Amino acid sequence: MPNTILAVRDVVKRFAGTVALKGVSLELYSNEILALVGENGAGKSTLMKILSGIYPYGSYEGAIEIKSAPCRFQSPFDSENAGIAMIYQELNLELDLTVGENILLGRYPRTKMGLIDWTRLYSEAERVLETLGTEIDTHVTVRSLSPSMQQLVSIARALYRNPQILILDEPTSVLTENEAQNLMRILRSLRNKGLSCIYISHKLDEIFSLCDRTVVFRDGCKISEHTKADGYDSTRVIEDMIGRRLDMMYPRRTANIGDEVLRAEHFQIPHPSAYGKLIIQDVSFTLYRGEILGLAGLVGAGRSELLAAVFGAIEKNRGELWIDGKKVEIKNPTAAIQAGLGFLSEDRKKNGFVQSMDIRQNMTLATLRRLVSGPFIDRIKENEQARMYFDKLRVKAPGLETLIVNLSGGNQQKVILAKWLMANPRVLLLDEPTRGIDVGTKSEIYKLMQELTDMGISIIMISSEMPELLAMCDRLVVLGRGVVQAEFRRGEADEVRLLRVASCT
Amino acid sequence: MGSSKKAILKRASDWFLKKQESSIILILLLFSALVICVNPAFISASNIINILHATGFTLVVVVGMSLTLITGGLDLSVGSVYALGALICGMACTNGGLPVPVAILLGLSVGVAAGAVNGVLIVKAGMPPMIVTLGMQYMARGLVSALTKGVPIFPLPEDFVAIGSTKLLGQFPIIVPLAIAIAVVGHITLSRTVFGRSVYAIGGNQEAARISGINIDRTKMTVYILTGMLAALAGILMSARLGSAEPSTGTGLEMKVICGAIIGGISTFGGMGTIFGAALGALFMEALTNSLTLMKISVYWQNLVFGAVLVLSVLLDQYKRVLTMRQSIKSTEYAAAEAAAKK
Repeated sequence: MPNTILAVRDVVKRFAGTVALKGVSLELYSNEILALVGENGAGKSTLMKILSGIYPYGSYEGAIEIKSAPCRFQSPFDSENAGIAMIYQELNLELDLTVGENILLGRYPRTKMGLIDWTRLYSEAERVLETLGTEIDTHVTVRSLSPSMQQLVSIARALYRNPQILILDEPTSVLTENEAQNLMRILRSLRNKGLSCIYISHKLDEIFSLCDRTVVFRDGCKISEHTKADGYDSTRVIEDMIGRRLDMMYPRRTANIGDEVLRAEHFQIPHPSAYGKLIIQDVSFTLYRGEILGLAGLVGAGRSELLAAVFGAIEKNRGELWIDGKKVEIKNPTAAIQAGLGFLSEDRKKNGFVQSMDIRQNMTLATLRRLVSGPFIDRIKENEQARMYFDKLRVKAPGLETLIVNLSGGNQQKVILAKWLMANPRVLLLDEPTRGIDVGTKSEIYKLMQELTDMGISIIMISSEMPELLAMCDRLVVLGRGVVQAEFRRGEADEVRLLRVASCT
Repeated sequence: MGSSKKAILKRASDWFLKKQESSIILILLLFSALVICVNPAFISASNIINILHATGFTLVVVVGMSLTLITGGLDLSVGSVYALGALICGMACTNGGLPVPVAILLGLSVGVAAGAVNGVLIVKAGMPPMIVTLGMQYMARGLVSALTKGVPIFPLPEDFVAIGSTKLLGQFPIIVPLAIAIAVVGHITLSRTVFGRSVYAIGGNQEAARISGINIDRTKMTVYILTGMLAALAGILMSARLGSAEPSTGTGLEMKVICGAIIGGISTFGGMGTIFGAALGALFMEALTNSLTLMKISVYWQNLVFGAVLVLSVLLDQYKRVLTMRQSIKSTEYAAAEAAAKK
């Protein structure tokens, strides 16, 4: 009988309107690397946020135990003290501190005088890096390191805290093939020294070679468990991830595709967090009238950045844009809106809606200039417009004066969609239009997309949910390593093929 | 019985939470009642006119400050720009011998210039408003000191001073209706124009506003320029009232103005508040200053009171925010439960 280090028992986590985890139980044994796989929204990250104390004890139901002792984490600090170390997909290092300072952050050794013992700090840091089998200068700033070296520094930081459990969330998304191999070698040797790992990744080949056991999540439930000892069957794992879906959720797509509407050529976009790196090297694509074009790719492939750059919301190094055969220069969102573009961003809270405003004000934000009469906003016209879209999109709220923060995610999304529809766009850029939205609203949004394309509007959509992309899109462009990896017409691709191309394997 | 009383209380508290200006109205009423108990002279006609007169100058500045605060910004330089505007105007019409309207325009344009410098540094260089306007506070005050060497510009031309002593209906000094007019225009601009909506959107969520095609840079520039110009205008009017451009005038004004705006319901986090509320806040600040004198509380204690009022009003702002949040969470939970019940 293996020794259980960590036990998760019947954990349920609810958000307003949705249930992210529906009674999940899970065990992690000593000397084990456990893989968690599942599509986006399956509940993996929610569980990790509970384990790392970001969702505190009391905000979920069920129990967490470490070595049979119940855990009630109030904050990430408690979780860290209990021996759980988390390495996030987005590195959270202090870029302007040195490697050594980052590794020992918050735990600097002191001299007798109470000052920082710099000699010991750096020697400790070097010792930890040595166990990883790397030689990084501990005195340089983290900013000057490549993403893969930064990744190693964050692992070293986690290890310095002597964790019993190491959780890695998509650790290889910024690494090259060789670096990833090196990381896996390190993880294997750590496991042999007694550390247990939870490894989250989309890359199945990596998981099959590294992990002792694989647990598949889907729709907030643990679906199945596969062990290396029994031999992995990739088809079965992928099937479990995908599941038998409610195909009726998607409207039957009938496309009436016309002439070219938008053409993007040679877009090159700098990496948002790694200075000097490119997230998009050279990407071109075309969009036709009435078409839904899907951008597929793994997290970090630059899909969102590409859309944001087309809309003028972020800087690009180069790239030309034609709309209706005419070259347009889009330097900012204002120009994009004038050119007939609308942009539903990935993160509603960050840049989708204005928290302090009500439904009506959020809906009319992009079209205020069209609602003025004389010097003033025409209140009657504004109300009429907002009411029309409120009814058309069936926003569920007491009224137009309800603050948008009081709505569920799906209804917030409808309000933001209404904002762009009011601008009469020719092209809608939708970045994860159904993220964090309940199933009912999702299907409403799909229907709306169908209606819009019937009216001749073209859509570019990003989704991390493969079935959604396959069901909704007339054409798919797969991004990876900063370029277009493949292009599929409707029916040419399935999830397995899409995953393979996207992960560049 | 108990339950109906509770319902009334609940309704009253709901109204209190909903109405943006409700807390300042309540504060003003309670405070006035308190002062009247101590000294009934507080509500004599002459004292009320005194309070309104003083409020006029503060209010002009509060209108600008409110716009700045609602965008999520801050302007600490208003007190110094107030003095600089008055000084330049005073120097132009005395030493310079320029006609009064030209001198006033010159004073105003100094305010515009100071606001523009603030705006450029904040918008284009991306510097924090607190640092930029603190620097401007010292630079403008320093310029005043250097130009006057501490000596007031006195006497100012008669036709200029006449502006300060003009009275409407034989009672109200000209500043009172003028300030009210500015506040009304400000209130309507903020609540009914595209510019006003942009100001709220920027304070509520700048990134969402940018994506929605709102010109962030231009709106913020306008706000800082307006704030500088209104500060200079108030300073000029004050010098007309005093008949002298004092180098130390407006010292600490920013404190009173920010205090008034916040206690009047302008959120320190940006995105919320009305000019009407802020105007009542300005009235409260002047009533407070006035009452301290009436109650014979030494001038030396006044800063202590102002500081406490600032801290308390921010506390109130935060508490109100927490209450609204709690309500919103409750209503969301309710909606979720309702949806679940339907299924």
